[in-house]
Amino acid sequence: MYKENFYKKLVNESINPFVLFNNDAKLIDYNNEAEILFNYLAPSKLFELALAHSPHNFGFERKYINLKYTKLSFYAILVGYIDDEYIAIELYKQVNTEKEIAKIHNIKLVNIFSLIEISKSTNLNNKEIKIEEIYDVSIPEVKVNINNFLLTLNECFVLFQNSKTIKIKVNIKVGEYEIIDIKKHNVIEIECKSESKIELSKKLEEQALKSHINVYEIEGVLKMEFPMIL
Amino acid sequence: MIESSMKKFIHHSASSKKALQIAQMSSSLPVNVLISGDIGVGKKLLCKEITQNAESFDALELEQLIQQQKIDLQSYSIIVAYNIDKLLNKKQFFQNITSIRIIATSSLEYNDRQNNFPVKIELEPLSKRKNDLIELTKFYTEEANKIYLCDKTAKDIEVDISENGISLKKSIYKSILFNSMSKDEMMNALYNYFINELTKGTKSYKELLEIFEVPLIKASKNIYKSQVQMAKNLDINRITLRKKIDTYFESI
Repeated sequence: MYKENFYKKLVNESINPFVLFNNDAKLIDYNNEAEILFNYLAPSKLFELALAHSPHNFGFERKYINLKYTKLSFYAILVGYIDDEYIAIELYKQVNTEKEIAKIHNIKLVNIFSLIEISKSTNLNNKEIKIEEIYDVSIPEVKVNINNFLLTLNECFVLFQNSKTIKIKVNIKVGEYEIIDIKKHNVIEIECKSESKIELSKKLEEQALKSHINVYEIEGVLKMEFPMIL
Repeated sequence: MIESSMKKFIHHSASSKKALQIAQMSSSLPVNVLISGDIGVGKKLLCKEITQNAESFDALELEQLIQQQKIDLQSYSIIVAYNIDKLLNKKQFFQNITSIRIIATSSLEYNDRQNNFPVKIELEPLSKRKNDLIELTKFYTEEANKIYLCDKTAKDIEVDISENGISLKKSIYKSILFNSMSKDEMMNALYNYFINELTKGTKSYKELLEIFEVPLIKASKNIYKSQVQMAKNLDINRITLRKKIDTYFESI
């Protein structure tokens, strides 16, 4: 009894998602991290993934493959079964330690709307782009690395230079927090949408990483998230 | 190059208003700013809108001073560097001044590959900034009128904007100066011109005569329109006039 509870807790606390299916693709068990993963990937898709990478014989097999589901990245999966009834999958989460350094350096209190205005004006200037802005003006001045933040915004707006319309939405994410140095911070989201689908560029991803901004794309919509450090 | 007597960045066109707005917003931010554009578009004036008291250098000179260790970089928190595109080793230059805020100017061709400038402001030429051109023409005309004691209006002046503000100012000053010259001053100017030309080498009477004849025919053509009227008013034989027009065809 003790053993079972202990392992259950251990699996629950893991940063990797664990999911157990039966042979009808029905969810039998999963940990906390898997619950987050279900926001971005349907369990049925995960079951298909497990089947596609399942070992030929009973047992477990680890495969190193890169998977990206919006803002969650994985570098490997472990699939296993010990009978014909159940199949389990574990996804190995990619964690970036570089961000930890970026977040504490050269941060200064600033109005992020001013930074968006500067970046937007310099990158989308002289172009006949219809810009719609939906800003949550209750967002106060926040601490960011201004240099890197502007460079990230620049890389983002560059992707919209050939667009006819752009919709920029800035808001605080409800129910999501980021913990930095034990302190809990709200998360600010900048969403940029065009009439056509926009793909993430390598430059934007690299710059966002330096700036401690999570950047991802969902169905052609670019999203940037960063902690609201006051 | 004529030093600008303009103290403020002219911003009557939409694009220059926007540029000024970005410059003012960036002034309080601890980031490098690059202002690019053609010659004479107002890059230096816009730099002053970002920072008034910072020391300014030609980027190439600054690069040499750093190499020769003739400058104490630690005493600067902000520097204005003109013509950043002329640097010989850009990477090393920026590595040397990482702790200093740089407000720089460059030509439009400059490519900031290393992302040293989070804020980049591009200034359009005067040909695309009609309202700024009107305002600048008015400003320089008034200024030149005061100096040469004239009362010309901007309408009387043919402006040259091939080098934006620089050629504009030159053309306005020249135009007003020429208009304000008396007969004696004109003859004096011609005397000096002939002295220079004859010192350079032998020139025939016929060759030098065009200095007088071309402007005269051009002006009378402008006023009298037809050759008949020109001949009549200048009291010259029509065949002689025609010959002269043919001779100076390219200049007229």
